[in-house]
Amino acid sequence: MKAVFLGTLAASQAAPITGFITEAVRSEIVGDGDPVLLAEALADAEIVLTGAWRAGYPPAPRLRLLQVPLAGTDGIEVAALPKGVTLCNAYGHEPALGEFAIMMMLAWRHRLFDIAASFRAGSWYWSPTVGGPTRGEIGGRTVGIVGLGHIGHEVAWRAAALGCRVLAANRTSREIPPSVARIFPMSELDLMLGECDVVVLSCALTAETTGLIDRRRLAAMKPDALLINLARGPIADEDALFEALRDGTIGGAALDTWWRYPSAAEPAPRPSRHPFHELQNVIMTPHCSPRTDGTIERRSRDVARNIDRLVRGEKLENIVAVT
Amino acid sequence: MKALFLGGVAADTARGIRDELPDGLAVEILDDPIEHARLPQAAANADILVSNHWRTDYPPAPRVRLVQSVATGVDLFELAALPKGAAICNAFGHETAIAEYIIMAMLALHHRLFEISGEFREHGSWRTSWVESGVPHGEVRGSTLGIVGYGRVGREVARRAAPFGCHIVAANRTARPPEDGVERVFPLTELDRMLPLCDTVALCTALGPETTGLIDARRLALMKPGAFLVNIARGPVVDEDAIYAALRDHTIGGAALDVWWQYPTPAEPARRGSRHPFHELPNVIVTPHNSGWTAGMVRRRWDEIADNIGRFVRGEKLINLVATN
Repeated sequence: MKAVFLGTLAASQAAPITGFITEAVRSEIVGDGDPVLLAEALADAEIVLTGAWRAGYPPAPRLRLLQVPLAGTDGIEVAALPKGVTLCNAYGHEPALGEFAIMMMLAWRHRLFDIAASFRAGSWYWSPTVGGPTRGEIGGRTVGIVGLGHIGHEVAWRAAALGCRVLAANRTSREIPPSVARIFPMSELDLMLGECDVVVLSCALTAETTGLIDRRRLAAMKPDALLINLARGPIADEDALFEALRDGTIGGAALDTWWRYPSAAEPAPRPSRHPFHELQNVIMTPHCSPRTDGTIERRSRDVARNIDRLVRGEKLENIVAVT
Repeated sequence: MKALFLGGVAADTARGIRDELPDGLAVEILDDPIEHARLPQAAANADILVSNHWRTDYPPAPRVRLVQSVATGVDLFELAALPKGAAICNAFGHETAIAEYIIMAMLALHHRLFEISGEFREHGSWRTSWVESGVPHGEVRGSTLGIVGYGRVGREVARRAAPFGCHIVAANRTARPPEDGVERVFPLTELDRMLPLCDTVALCTALGPETTGLIDARRLALMKPGAFLVNIARGPVVDEDAIYAALRDHTIGGAALDVWWQYPTPAEPARRGSRHPFHELPNVIVTPHNSGWTAGMVRRRWDEIADNIGRFVRGEKLINLVATN
């Protein structure tokens, strides 16, 4: 069988993934910029690994498994896939994102950036030895998780161990895990937001979640609340969030996902049309939260196992859709 | 019965716990003991002294039976100048704040938070981004945390670190059974066996003869090359020259330092915490000895002090008894 790693994202994971494949699978790396090479690669591929599939791609008549090497399948136009293809995604990034969310809520409550920068510059302002101001803790605070999936759970049990009261809002009703005090239906999200000192966005980007955190919902949050977005930029309304942070409608944000990303035309864009980098109450990172040694290994193992299953005719895991 | 609250921190405490104190207890507050002419009279009839210090050159305080420190350390009380038989009590409440600080520092160092967010904010760099298949950073899961000093703070750290899926080991002066997710407690004499196992070493020990200079050049060299050191204990637990060299030369991966070898003085209020320029090293998170300094800590400490004063007045068993003078 042949597996094609399509695009830079998939190609960057080719080495670890192929290293974990145990069945006989040929692999090939191809970009999507050269239609001739792409057509040749897809002509006899049973497996394609990619983060994106668009209408207008060349025919892939033998394609059986479209394996997205990440959780989000929002880059795949399912209608543009040939018939008989199973679309699977991959996880393994949940612990990294769980850690990332906790790190951000701690850094925010403990004012780590302010204190470390001030002391690095030589000031003892924040020290009790000179009567400096106290800072906050996360213990005893309320953390609200929007989307209690794989990642939400990882955040929930770590936050609970830190002594937080954990709330969650989820599309479908779920059994309440011991780390979570209450689950709200998504229709009652506004109710939950008003109770939270920290709101973590860990839901998928769908039609229902695009623009979910809009002006009205930001206004429903506590004025000192922290918003953490590990999910996708467009879950928060770009204009409304910038204004809310600039005007102090909410306390701050830790943003790892954005509205703009590097492209061939613009390899190093600012991540938003607004100057978030000028706001002191924003901790900003370049969508690096999943990019850990641990994620790469866990994910590569999972993807390789799925490819082995296909070769052996076994049941696939992490099925998102079947065409 | 009278309680004397002496010094700025004690004065704040008195104001914070006023409503919790027993009825009938007289309260006298002296914000600044040095300039205060009231001290001789205030000390003469005090039964309870709440402060962070006492000095031999202070006027007599013959009736004091409870010396309640507003801090954990009681080393600033010159006990010879206080009555024999007085109960010396301290206060805690900082465990949550410090444990959170250690977890935060461990995460920030593994995830390279300062480097990544600094590059992205200042230069718009996507170098570390997942979408660019950038340079990966580390995570705490699967790593090993070593806690030196498995006391109140150490246990709170272990409890919070366990759900991160890391291995936890500890070293302690006296033997203790492992609990709260700790896999093994080494005697402090076997610290050298623990250090090579650790990706993060958190120093939570008291400063004493056995711990002064504990982390020296030899022990730093025993640590993994990428390992991180977190010090919330006291500066001199670590050899100042050795840690600076180790961080500068990447003998270890990085550090979060909250405690220092020197502090500001009235003569030199802006003095740096070390004779070495730690503030010029990019692999160090520096904070001004405030890991325990949170609003929650202040509130918990006040509650403990109010509780103890109430116990003393009612003749009940005291909490946080350090020694009887």
